[in-house]
Amino acid sequence: MIGLLLYLLVGIGLLVILWVLARREGAPVEGCGRQFVEARQALRTLQLGLLPENLIERIFDREDFRYVMAASPGEIGELFLQERKRISLMWVRRVRCEIRNLMQFHLGYSRLHVKLSLPTEIRLALDFTLLLLACRALRILLNARGPYGAGAVVRILTSAAGRVCAASEKSLAFLNPPALESFRHNSAGDGAAI
Amino acid sequence: MSAPAKHMDVLAAADDLRRRTLAEMTQPLERLIYLASTRDYNTGLYYHHGLALRFSEEAACEALAGCHREAFEELVAASLEEIVHELQTYLESTRVAPNDFIVAWQGLEPYRVAVPVGIDSLSSELVFSNLKVALAILESRLDARPKPGASRRPLPVQ
Repeated sequence: MIGLLLYLLVGIGLLVILWVLARREGAPVEGCGRQFVEARQALRTLQLGLLPENLIERIFDREDFRYVMAASPGEIGELFLQERKRISLMWVRRVRCEIRNLMQFHLGYSRLHVKLSLPTEIRLALDFTLLLLACRALRILLNARGPYGAGAVVRILTSAAGRVCAASEKSLAFLNPPALESFRHNSAGDGAAI
Repeated sequence: MSAPAKHMDVLAAADDLRRRTLAEMTQPLERLIYLASTRDYNTGLYYHHGLALRFSEEAACEALAGCHREAFEELVAASLEEIVHELQTYLESTRVAPNDFIVAWQGLEPYRVAVPVGIDSLSSELVFSNLKVALAILESRLDARPKPGASRRPLPVQ
């Protein structure tokens, strides 16, 4: 009797798992346009607003600090360090937020449209984990050592973020049909109105 | 402002703007403040009478917007030393007493309304932060000098 109950429970359990899996595949296909648009927005913000090399160099460049210390040390030096720390923390916070947006997209939706190979998915998962850990480590280091105490972590974070952006670009490539691209190239590109 | 400007007209208008009006403004900060002043606060549209007559209002608007963005991007890429130099040059070009200028800029932060549309908030915060430090550096230099010509005008209301 106990054996029969056990088999019944296992059978019900398997059915529940099957039902959950079936629902998981079917549900998100419809009405997921918003997620694609948000992922696209996150990707653009990362590529154009947060990860350009010259911006990162500007934020973490020691040359500015050397200049301030030579020009007017003391209170102004402290003001500069405070300001640069604030900007660098803001940068980490923004990168982390956009990375999380992209991660949500990859977890829930990208596989529905783009066939990712298992090694690619594993690499992507590792990169996302590395990025979130690097963001956390960077925040701790910036708070503890100031804006110039975490150069190596900044480099790790930017290279992993670059890889994730490249993978996301492929997943979202279908949003850039050739016709739209040529139309974009023919326009001025500078929005004049708010 | 209904029809979009043709790309070639916009390029020609921007070229004209760079060669004439902006030619004397060598510093990005100076160009940024000037170009921001051609933008209507209520509509966000840029207007330049001469340029609009020569091309069209739409082309002039897009050309001004493009040059505005260009000036801002140059400022984002500038080192703190360059920003201090630019601010000093701009201060001298205004012919306002240096102390008054610094007090007004520290209090009113007029550069905050000079940001072009579509700029990421991190870039603008970096520029604001650099300008804040640059103003402090200029102020310390002024304090180090004797002050024979300090103005007696009232401070701006905050």
